[in-house]
Amino acid sequence: MSLRGKDPLNLIIAGVGGQGNVLISRLIGQAMVSEGYEATIGETFGASQRGGSVTSHLRVSRDHKYGPLIPEGDADIILGLEPVEALRQLALCGSPATCVVTNTRPIHPMCVAIGQAEYPELETIKESIGRLSGKAWYVNASQIALDLGAALLTNIVMVGVLAGLGLTDLRPDMFEQQLETMFQNEKLALNMRAFRAGLTYDFGKPEK
Amino acid sequence: MRPGACQEIETKVLKQDLCTLCGACSGNCPYIVSYEGRIVVRDVCDLPEGRCTAFCPRVSLDLDKLSLDSFGKPYDWDRPGPALHVGMARSADEALRRSAQDAGTVTSLIGLALEEGYIDSAVVTFFDGEKLPRARVVSDKEELLRSVRSNYTAVPVLGAFNEAIAGAGRERVGVVGTPCQALALAKMKMSGSGDARNVGKLKLVIGLFCTWALLYPGFSDFLKGKVPGPVLKFIIPPPPTKILRAVTAKGTTDMPLEMVMPFVRPACAFCLDMTSEFADISIGAAELDRQPDVPGTDALPAWNTIIVRTSKGYDLFQEAIRRGVIETAELPAKTLEHLNHAARAKKKRALREIVRKTGSRKDLLYLTSQPLMLGDLLEE
Amino acid sequence: MTAAALKEPGTKQLLMGNEAIARGAMEAGAGVAAAYPGNPSTEVIDTLASVANDLNMYVEWSVNEKVALEVAAGASYAGVRSITAMKQLGLNVALDFLANVNLTGVKAGLVLVVCDDPSALSSTNEQDSRNVARALDLPLLEPSDPQEAKEMTKWAFELSEQIGGVCLVRSVTRISHSRGIVVLGELGKINDRAFFDPGCPPYTTIVGGGAPKYHKALHDKLDTVAAIYDSSRFNWYEGPEKPRLLIVTSGSGWLYSWEAVRRLSLTESVGILKLGTTWPLPRVLLKDNMAKVRKVLVVEEVDPFLEGNLKGLAFEWPEKDLLFYGKQSGHIDPFGEINTDIVSKALAGICGVEYVSREADYRKKAADIIERFAPPRETQFCAGCPHRGLFWAVKDALRLDGRGGIVTGDIGCYGSAAGPTGFSQLKTMHSMGSGIGVANGLGKLERFQFVQPVLAACGDSTFFHAAIPALVNAIHSRANLILLVLDNSGTAMTGFQPHPGTLTDATGSPAPAVDIASLCRGLGLPVEVVDPYDIKGTTEKLLSVLGDTVGPTVMISKRECALITSKGGKRAYNVSVTSELCVGESCGCDRFCTRVFRCPGLVWERNSKKAEIDMAICIGCGVCADVCPHHAIRREESQ
Repeated sequence: MSLRGKDPLNLIIAGVGGQGNVLISRLIGQAMVSEGYEATIGETFGASQRGGSVTSHLRVSRDHKYGPLIPEGDADIILGLEPVEALRQLALCGSPATCVVTNTRPIHPMCVAIGQAEYPELETIKESIGRLSGKAWYVNASQIALDLGAALLTNIVMVGVLAGLGLTDLRPDMFEQQLETMFQNEKLALNMRAFRAGLTYDFGKPEK
Repeated sequence: MRPGACQEIETKVLKQDLCTLCGACSGNCPYIVSYEGRIVVRDVCDLPEGRCTAFCPRVSLDLDKLSLDSFGKPYDWDRPGPALHVGMARSADEALRRSAQDAGTVTSLIGLALEEGYIDSAVVTFFDGEKLPRARVVSDKEELLRSVRSNYTAVPVLGAFNEAIAGAGRERVGVVGTPCQALALAKMKMSGSGDARNVGKLKLVIGLFCTWALLYPGFSDFLKGKVPGPVLKFIIPPPPTKILRAVTAKGTTDMPLEMVMPFVRPACAFCLDMTSEFADISIGAAELDRQPDVPGTDALPAWNTIIVRTSKGYDLFQEAIRRGVIETAELPAKTLEHLNHAARAKKKRALREIVRKTGSRKDLLYLTSQPLMLGDLLEE
Repeated sequence: MTAAALKEPGTKQLLMGNEAIARGAMEAGAGVAAAYPGNPSTEVIDTLASVANDLNMYVEWSVNEKVALEVAAGASYAGVRSITAMKQLGLNVALDFLANVNLTGVKAGLVLVVCDDPSALSSTNEQDSRNVARALDLPLLEPSDPQEAKEMTKWAFELSEQIGGVCLVRSVTRISHSRGIVVLGELGKINDRAFFDPGCPPYTTIVGGGAPKYHKALHDKLDTVAAIYDSSRFNWYEGPEKPRLLIVTSGSGWLYSWEAVRRLSLTESVGILKLGTTWPLPRVLLKDNMAKVRKVLVVEEVDPFLEGNLKGLAFEWPEKDLLFYGKQSGHIDPFGEINTDIVSKALAGICGVEYVSREADYRKKAADIIERFAPPRETQFCAGCPHRGLFWAVKDALRLDGRGGIVTGDIGCYGSAAGPTGFSQLKTMHSMGSGIGVANGLGKLERFQFVQPVLAACGDSTFFHAAIPALVNAIHSRANLILLVLDNSGTAMTGFQPHPGTLTDATGSPAPAVDIASLCRGLGLPVEVVDPYDIKGTTEKLLSVLGDTVGPTVMISKRECALITSKGGKRAYNVSVTSELCVGESCGCDRFCTRVFRCPGLVWERNSKKAEIDMAICIGCGVCADVCPHHAIRREESQ
């Protein structure tokens, strides 16, 4: 399955405040712009950042500017930094054709911590995502990031996974170029390692 | 959030003016605390049942069930509780008698219990005349002697009891308390709620006679400027003098009882237990008649009236006599008659107030068992 | 941001709308920028602050929006182009001055950027600030994407100088915070010879004939602007020569409308008139375009501003029979933000075509799944937030006090204390500084048997912004209230901008800090300072102040924001739960720490049925150790 050449490409990055959602949407966007695409990114932050859901809508096209919000049903890919957020955005904006690539490590909302709600089991999340999407891939990017030294790298790992799957026109070298403009020295090396770890992640069979 | 048991305490007890500040609901959890003469529900849990409502003497009180559990027989509305022995007693220690509230019997018995190891700790009331009266847990006689005084105020002693039995280090605990506190302790034993082993640490309950208790800090504000120094003890001499006597190091002040009555806790109107009917041993002044409406009782020298109710209590009582720690005497028939009469009068008054509050004889507020002759009791 | 902002002219950057606006000001040679932080406008001056030293601009985080606008006006009078940016609510604060400076005019270009927040994503209201343009006779521009935001801002300086008046650029969240390609232009030259001519006529309406004369002159200016607008490059028509329906749209509505028409395959029958200049109305342009059709759909955020004004225009055109659709016809809700779906539905309804964004059963399945499996995320104080400790102490103190104390609230992160994260302590919350204002009212009701203690909470930034006048009022009126100043050393909500109480200025240089405690003591007020991490001490202090208060008193809760602490990387404590001591769900605890205290660093582990510390979130403040009723939470000083 490939979304290469889809125009516009509608990518949603779904996560929780503090995961660096905004950073990677910018880097991906800038990577596409450097290749001559038009890009628009819509972001939600502000009061919602304190523990709330954070969503980026990224729209990439060869020939026209698009508005910052992806219309209902038009999401091509949901890139999840957090699994329930991926499910949530899929349910809000997705369609049976949507692809989902998501991290599996949960961040519990407050209502779960106080016992007012249950956080679904990963199998339940996978099953739900399967029912609402075309194809889905799951990776414990948080663990990969932690193994590399910081949970904060989860977002970069996930971009690596996305690039590695080859679903879109985002080539690895394009993204690495952006990392080079953003970071230097050890930070650059660390982010590169994170990106490559996602890039080379071995899925075996894609799960549905 | 589902409302929890503590909501019941708030709506059915605190807001209904039924709270006696016995303290049984506090000291168990972070949600209910006592502060400056009040019980405060500071946060709300969502457990449907808890120790607070199980222990509270003003929630779902089934006197028959409780009496069966404590004494093996149903509740007797005519008598002031079961008695293995009724008489008079006083401390054999003259100095102690002088400094104590009445005749020092409570102090002597608790002191003996501590010495002999019946108990390793006693929860009593401490009052220095300045700050609010508070509960104190003592481990030996010296500490006890520093605490001896009664003050006619409600002190949430059972909060301290709950805290004492929660931790390690106190395995045999005695409590000196008011009738509502003895009632709550009986409920605690019956409920087995929470950790039954901990409630099993309760080994002795000495209950005091009580007709009403005062609201602090309102009463302490009232006292300011009326007494020359910290109050060592309060005395209510027998009628016809209708006064409250405050004894200080610098002298004694008498205040008309009618000036003090506005500071009585509203909850006391709904209380039917004058003699701590659920204690092991109940002790009061042999000079009765704190109510203005029961006239002309003979004044007696300072003796306590003592009612021994359980075999546990009886063992301690006998030991105290054997060891010469207390002196005993027979209670004069007339005094006994007045005691019975006064106790019964309190029950009638309470029932009347309850029915007046609810507007119906079918709804006795917190009482879930009805006296068979409710009608008679109300009409008398 | 800095690097992107200063790159070579001609390069393409993916800039946020606000960054593009800042770039526009730089390309116009603006020399002064002043603002108060407020979402969604904050990044405009944030960006300019980051380049200020490189460009020799003066950039200031002012104490409030009124002063910010006045600062800009002062610079403009001395011939230096200036810009100010504020959120919609900030415009209200600046309104008094704006309603005067519109009449007195300006010298060098002065651009006021207002960023509205449709759907109030981070605001307490969603007012449509364009109404102010009409009310105050100000030229209005609405950019439709970041590139246009830059262009318009730059051009607005020219227009402002041409008419000698303030120009309003109105953005919304989706423009301000969305990123799009912006082609950078040349940097403008800043006028480095500031001079206020003492001989010039004074900038006031009370000399020279009175306000009505200035008012008329302003109308004349606006007529000039309307003529310029008629041929502005910011307005254009796209669509068939003979459309059956004309969409008139502005701002974010443009791209939504364009996409909606495409998705519904209506490009042959629906034309779009995109307006960038929306007040005064470009009447000739509008008439020319509306002449083509009978039906007009107006797409805009938030009020039917254009729609109402177009109807007014049409009323003067009786020979033309026009039907208007939009927020007044029921096709688009007159509240909340718009998007492509909303426009698509309206369009489909009017044109009689079917619009199905997603199949009904998919939608139902999705909604069902969300309800069952996706727990919502509420806004909460961060782990270690000092506000949590403070409001915990307030809750306990007011409960123990027992007289039904009330806390009035204000704007900032602590505003969330109206909800469960702050134990629902705040009972009112409106605008900047209103907490202590309302408390003034509550604090003077003794004669009406009012005995409840009154507390007002405000942050350090809000204190300077708006609380001081009400505090002075309370002194003179002897209002019984306690002002709680939650001092976390910065304007945290919007990203830690400095304010007059902090030791640095907008460009990071050292600056004198106004000390709140000294100021209050200087006013003759009793001041207590507490550490909100010490919840026991704070509760005790509060109880003693509550018991003792006659007239206003101040209590400062002083502890830096947890986000600053955690960025520093150091933990004060290593916190852990001794699970054998954790009572958990049973009577005696009922998960007091996770369920009631609710710090995100505390997690209820369902399998072991014990509380645990989430080390990825905990910042090591150690406050929870004092909360646990069974001393199961341990804190050890970390090295």
